[in-house]
Amino acid sequence: MASTGKAGPLTARNAGLVACHVCGKLQPWAAGSACARCGSMLHQRKPESLQRSWAFLISALLLYLPANLYPIMTTTTLGMPENSTIIGGVILLWQHGSYPVAAVVFIASVMIPIIKFLVIGSLLLLVRHGHSGKLGQHTRLFRFIEYIGPWSMIDVFVVILLVALIQFGGIASVYPGPAAAAFAGMVIATMLSALFFDTRLLWDRL
Amino acid sequence: MNAQTIDEEKGELVACHSCDLLHLKTRLPEGGKAYCTRCGELLYTESSRAIETALALSLSSLVLFSAAHLLPFISIDIEGNASTIFLISTIETLTEIDSQLLALAGIFLLLIAPLIVLLVDVLLLYRLRFGRSGQSVISRQLLLIAGHMTPWNMLEIFLLGVLVSLVKLASMADITLHEGFWAFVGLVVINLTIAVRIHPETLWQALERLDR
Repeated sequence: MASTGKAGPLTARNAGLVACHVCGKLQPWAAGSACARCGSMLHQRKPESLQRSWAFLISALLLYLPANLYPIMTTTTLGMPENSTIIGGVILLWQHGSYPVAAVVFIASVMIPIIKFLVIGSLLLLVRHGHSGKLGQHTRLFRFIEYIGPWSMIDVFVVILLVALIQFGGIASVYPGPAAAAFAGMVIATMLSALFFDTRLLWDRL
Repeated sequence: MNAQTIDEEKGELVACHSCDLLHLKTRLPEGGKAYCTRCGELLYTESSRAIETALALSLSSLVLFSAAHLLPFISIDIEGNASTIFLISTIETLTEIDSQLLALAGIFLLLIAPLIVLLVDVLLLYRLRFGRSGQSVISRQLLLIAGHMTPWNMLEIFLLGVLVSLVKLASMADITLHEGFWAFVGLVVINLTIAVRIHPETLWQALERLDR
């Protein structure tokens, strides 16, 4: 039942139906009506999906710079402040021989955000300009980055915990740097960008 | 994967929320899962005891969540300077040192989102299992709220963050893990189990049956 032959694939939209994008209930499509099951407004596709997804992706890209350039935390030992950036933290872990942990932090904080930017950005471009090949792969790729996205938060949580643990006044104290909030905002913005992206737009080209 | 036996009585349709392709619902074996034939997305699952299991698991989660927050979490000792923190100390400290943005992120991701998901799960599953039938606007709202909060529930990621912090501290501090920490580990494990076991569609259908 993948194709009817003449009117394109048998999707809910081609059949005059709509699946509520909040609860998934399948029902006849009428513009401006509410879902019979959960009461949310019905939309054939998430409204303004591309614009919202682009907006949050660009915000995330802008936040990525301060998140990596500014210190994510400042350690004060006997009055001597020492700043560390995200990549500085990874290098320090590596030098101390904690290779697996250094790898986890590097993947979560550096690689995952870049992969998310590339995947969401290219899918957004594909919706507009792309051809219809490899859609299954693209959809799986999107689900993958949607799943791994929040894991970037690890470094922010590390800062939050170290700050709470190490508060010994002038002897030793840890404070969050400007990059911590920027990084948290960056992760949240990429998650919102993915939430607003409607993968059905990719398949609509068939 | 996609069994050929069509459910004759209902002949219900379901649309893939990832690619919009229509599928005829088929009867699945216990514990079975149906995937989209075109893009591979999970469509629905079959589990006759899903509600009971999820209710039991979310009640245990609620107990562990309280324990994780009420009991001491971690102690450290750096050359005679010792401190013991509770989970909530993280947010308190951030407020004290005026990191309001981080404190907000912490409160939302570590306290509000997981607590709402848990409370909603318990209340809703209780009604789905034991409640009388009849329209319930509240249950519907609860399920909607839980759906919106789920992506922001990051307890397992926080746990990994805690482990990374411990590795960073291990060379310079004596660390003691307390009951709150172990309750938190249990909470994360059970939360992941619930997420695997229950598909939102199962809950919506259970609610629909009560509404009739």
